[in-house]
Amino acid sequence: MDRKDFLKRGLGSLAIVPFFTACKDAEDVSPDTSTTTGSTNTSNTSGSCTITATETEGPFPTKVPGSLVQNDITSDRTGTKLTVKITIQNKNNSCAALANALVDIWHCDANGNYSEYGGTGMQSTNYTSVHFLRGRQTTDANGLVTFTTIYPGWYSGRATHIHVHVYNSSGKSLLVTQIAFPEDTSKVVYAQGVYASHGQADTTNARDNVFGDGVGTEMSTITGSVSAGYVLAHTIVVSA
Amino acid sequence: MAKGLLKLCYLKIIDENSQGLWEKSVFDDTYMEFFMQAQFYNQDGKYQTFQELVRHIPAAEKLHYLVSTAAINYIRQLNGQIPDITNGLGKLCLPFQHFRFEILQSHIHHKKHHKVAVYFYSEPLIWLDTIHEQLLITHLHQKEALFNDNEVITEMVHLEANLTISSFQNL
Repeated sequence: MDRKDFLKRGLGSLAIVPFFTACKDAEDVSPDTSTTTGSTNTSNTSGSCTITATETEGPFPTKVPGSLVQNDITSDRTGTKLTVKITIQNKNNSCAALANALVDIWHCDANGNYSEYGGTGMQSTNYTSVHFLRGRQTTDANGLVTFTTIYPGWYSGRATHIHVHVYNSSGKSLLVTQIAFPEDTSKVVYAQGVYASHGQADTTNARDNVFGDGVGTEMSTITGSVSAGYVLAHTIVVSA
Repeated sequence: MAKGLLKLCYLKIIDENSQGLWEKSVFDDTYMEFFMQAQFYNQDGKYQTFQELVRHIPAAEKLHYLVSTAAINYIRQLNGQIPDITNGLGKLCLPFQHFRFEILQSHIHHKKHHKVAVYFYSEPLIWLDTIHEQLLITHLHQKEALFNDNEVITEMVHLEANLTISSFQNL
C-alpha cells in the first residue's frame, strides 16, 4: 500500500464504538432477555454461604458472522449510489471463476474519511453505527460478489480508489489490491450532491503513487448516471 | 442525598482459558479475524505476533478496530447488559451502550496466544451511597422520582477486580 494511505490510516488507535441494541438484521437479535433473569439456584441448607448466581453466563450465544459481512455497506453515509460487482478469477485454474473466496472491500466517504477512528483514550464517540463503507462477501459459483455502497470520495494525495483484499475460504490472503476509477466519471460525481463542497480530486491516476505505474489491471468499468446510480464492474485475478 | 452520577467500566478479558460459550465464540472469531486482517500489514509474513506488528508497522494499531468487527455481533447478544457483574441478588444490573475492544496479544500461528479485552462502559448511574464495599445506585431514569422524594428502586454493586468507576459528574 502507498505511504500516504498508510500514514492516514495509521492515525487510528483503540476503537471505541457505540453500541446499538436496535439492530436492523433479524439474525442480530439475541435470545429472549428472560435468559438473563432466570431463577436463582437456591440451596435448601441455610448458612453464611453465598447463593450462586446463575445469570452471569448471559444470554445463550449463537454463532454469528462478523459485522463486516453485509451486502449494503453504506451505513449512515450519503452519496451517489454505487453497485460494486467484483469477479474473482483463478490464474492457476485457466482463469476460471473462483468460488467461495472471501472479498473485503473498503473505501472512504464523500469527504474522504474512512471508518476507522472510533476515538482515543477513554472517551467514547457518538458515531451512529459501528462502521461504514466496509464489507465482506463470499464469491458465488461465478466468482462474483456484489456490494451496494456510495461512490467513493477522495482525499489529498490519492486518486479515487476502493481497497480490496481477497482471501481463500480459509482466510489465507490471496491478494491485496485497489480498484481505480475513470476520471471523467469521478469529475461528474464530484461536481454534485454531497461531493460538491469537497471539490474535484487533487490527484490524477497518472500522478497517483499507487496507480501511477499503470492501471491496466486495476481500472474498473463504470456505467450509469448520477440520477440512476452507477454500477462498477471489475475482474480481479488471483493465484489460488 | 445522591453523591453524583457515575459510569462504571468493566474489563472482560477473553483468552484460551475462557469457559463460556459466548467467550469461546468471541475468542474463536476474533482470532480468525486477526489472522485474516493481520495479513494486510504483514504481506511478507515477517512478523509473528501482534506486538511485533505494531512495533514495526504503526498502522497495524488499527487491528484493534478491524478485529472488533468480529466481536460486535456477540456484544449485541448481551442485550445491553454488562455481563458478569451482578447486583446483591445475583442479577445483571448494569445497562451499557458503549464498549471498547482491544487486542492484548496474539500470534499469527498460535491461537493459544490470542487474548483480547472488552471494556464495557455503563450508562450513567446515580450513586446514592456506599454501604460496606458496595455501591448503592439507581438508574438515571429514576432521577425525577428521587428528587420528588418518592421511593426509587436501587441496586447494590460490589466493586470487584476489573470493575472501576470510569467517570463522575455532580448531579
